[in-house]
Amino acid sequence: MSARIFRWRAIGPLLVFLLISGVLWWLLADRIARRSAEKIGTAIVGAKVEIQSLHIDLANGDVTIRGLTVASPHEALKNLFQADELVADIDVLPLLEKKVVIDRLAANGLRFGTPRETDGRVPTDPRASVSGRVLNEARDWAQQFQVPALQLATGKIDVGTLDPRKLSAIPAAEALSARADSSRKAWQTGLDSLHLGATVDSATATLARLKTARATDLAALNEARRAIEQLKQARNRVTTLERGVNGGLTALRAGVAGLDSAKQRDYAFARGLLKLPTLDAPEIGLALFAPSAVAQFQRALYWTQLAKAHMPPGLQPRADDGPPRRRRSGSTVRFPRERALPGFLLRTAELSFLLDPTARQPKRYAGRLTGLTSDPAVYGRPTLFEASAPAVTAGAMLDHVHATARDTAGATIQGVKLSPMHLPSLPMTLDPGQGTTQLGFALRGDTIRARWAIRSSHVQWSRDSAVQASSGADLLWRTLSGITDLQVDAGVTGTLSQPRLVVRSNLDDAIAARLRTMLGEEAAVAERKLRAEVDRQVDPAIAPVRARVTTLQTDVTKRLADQRARLDQAQKDLEARVRELTRIRLP
Amino acid sequence: MLTLVKLLQSLVKALHSEGTPGQLAAGIALGAILGLTPLVSLHNAVIFALIVMLNVSFAGALLGWAVFIPVGFLLDPLFDHIGHQLLMHTPALTPLWTAMYNMPVVPLTNFNNTVTLGSLVTALVLFVPFFFLFRWAVARYRATIGERVKQSKWYRAVTASKLYNVYRLFKPE
Repeated sequence: MSARIFRWRAIGPLLVFLLISGVLWWLLADRIARRSAEKIGTAIVGAKVEIQSLHIDLANGDVTIRGLTVASPHEALKNLFQADELVADIDVLPLLEKKVVIDRLAANGLRFGTPRETDGRVPTDPRASVSGRVLNEARDWAQQFQVPALQLATGKIDVGTLDPRKLSAIPAAEALSARADSSRKAWQTGLDSLHLGATVDSATATLARLKTARATDLAALNEARRAIEQLKQARNRVTTLERGVNGGLTALRAGVAGLDSAKQRDYAFARGLLKLPTLDAPEIGLALFAPSAVAQFQRALYWTQLAKAHMPPGLQPRADDGPPRRRRSGSTVRFPRERALPGFLLRTAELSFLLDPTARQPKRYAGRLTGLTSDPAVYGRPTLFEASAPAVTAGAMLDHVHATARDTAGATIQGVKLSPMHLPSLPMTLDPGQGTTQLGFALRGDTIRARWAIRSSHVQWSRDSAVQASSGADLLWRTLSGITDLQVDAGVTGTLSQPRLVVRSNLDDAIAARLRTMLGEEAAVAERKLRAEVDRQVDPAIAPVRARVTTLQTDVTKRLADQRARLDQAQKDLEARVRELTRIRLP
Repeated sequence: MLTLVKLLQSLVKALHSEGTPGQLAAGIALGAILGLTPLVSLHNAVIFALIVMLNVSFAGALLGWAVFIPVGFLLDPLFDHIGHQLLMHTPALTPLWTAMYNMPVVPLTNFNNTVTLGSLVTALVLFVPFFFLFRWAVARYRATIGERVKQSKWYRAVTASKLYNVYRLFKPE
């Protein structure tokens, strides 16, 4: 008997199975869709996405989500936003192509930055998830900025160690001492080589003989004249030696003066050992507000890069992570095609949101989002967002239609409560209160241009009690606590790989001036200490040299003068006796 | 443990069902597709419908499914690689994938997932060899030790269970 191909009696059970499947779908579809939406949303955002309820009405093409909470991937206990209700009007037919096309989405009761009780961030593996990778890249990018540390909290000036080997006066004194010694020896040798004693003695002997000689004793007279000539020559040699000594003494005196200059240089060197904190206002602005500014830019970069990852330009097939399941996820490849529907498209979203939701009378605003799609090149138009109200202006354009993505976003919000800022390096916290915040961000390919600014006229300061009090901190506290206005401007330009950050605030100049005053006093004390240390080390070397040069000068001058006087006296005596002998006496 | 007992039960029942070795082998080969590919896929609904509607051994399909689930897990890296090659590195096929991706219903099969496509292609390629291999193996089994097993006490204990009645609904005619 040949077997039949079809098992007709199994049709009944199969129909029952299909019926049960249909009933299960009807019962569980909302729950399954809610969980899937939470899972997909969490994977996209990189933080928990929670939905209270989700209802699918396929007959009318409506999906209603209530109680949507999207946690912030950057802050532990903060939500990115919450929404009371989202009603999506979806096209049913594209669902058969596994494509979600939402014609219109109405989002009501959007609230941004609301607090949450549990950490909404999800641990992401940079290698396994897009959001984890982008989060890591944004973090790495932010860490490129070298924020200078402001050493203000204690107002201390660090004094380096004074190394005597690096002082110039001591070796100069030693060199001068050696020169003085050698000069003394040279001059002594010079004096000895003049043989003045023999010359004077010879002249004295000649004079003694002349005293007994007659006028006709020509030999004695000639001897006297020779002695006078020798005395003159000796005096010339003394003059020459004296000239050399004077030159040497002048050099030694210059050397002594040089010791003073060397000591001044040592003072300057010691001043260089004072490690003064930076006093430049731009550096202070960077030190104070760079972390806050960089955090803003980092977030903006995260969202734009995340958008680029999920809304890539071009029509090339691209692989994303597959669905999470027990089996290997693999990669899911999308094949966009021109004039076809994108995988996801939100044509229009009308957003109704609250700003400052914790206020007594939160303000309600409206915004509009158009053309949010997973395949911008297929859709052919950029994603646009705009929201405007008397105190709010916000807009964004994600243009991924062409090969080079262009993302721009800007927002100005007035009269909103700004978050308190703990200022690094300062033991105090700044609460800007209600103010204006602005953020501008443009990313074209790899080129970034961003600006963040806050303005407030109701700034309140509070001291950090955990930090030990110091005179410097007290002075700064007195300076800053009197400031009620706050103006901070931060900007980033350049490329993503080589960004340049500039931060300025109205506090910079005030802090810089106070620092100068505060550190001026401190620096003077420290400088006096260092000068005393220089004196202590240098003076024992300089003083003996100075005394030695003075003694040498006195001694050599006196000796030369004595010798000259002896020569002069001998010559004078001889000349007088010769004149006396050669005078013509008339009878 | 219960799963193991059920697996044993289905194995015994399948091998000794009234179906021909061909019906049993076809059931195992179809069940292998279920086991090798990710279960929650649209193509598996089609495979399941074929198992139910075609006059193949349902127990054999259960057996094939149960046996090839761990094999599927083990071979996932290979399936991923095959799927990746087919979807991303075979330009000649890109127009086909693009057309299928933008076609109604087809994307619901998850064909554009590397593991799903790789495992499905592998399972389909192996379907015919599996069929002939299992048909030969079942025939050999029945001709050698099958009759002795059928006479054993534990075989009668297995076939006497309530599940056997449910199974009889789908036994080959």
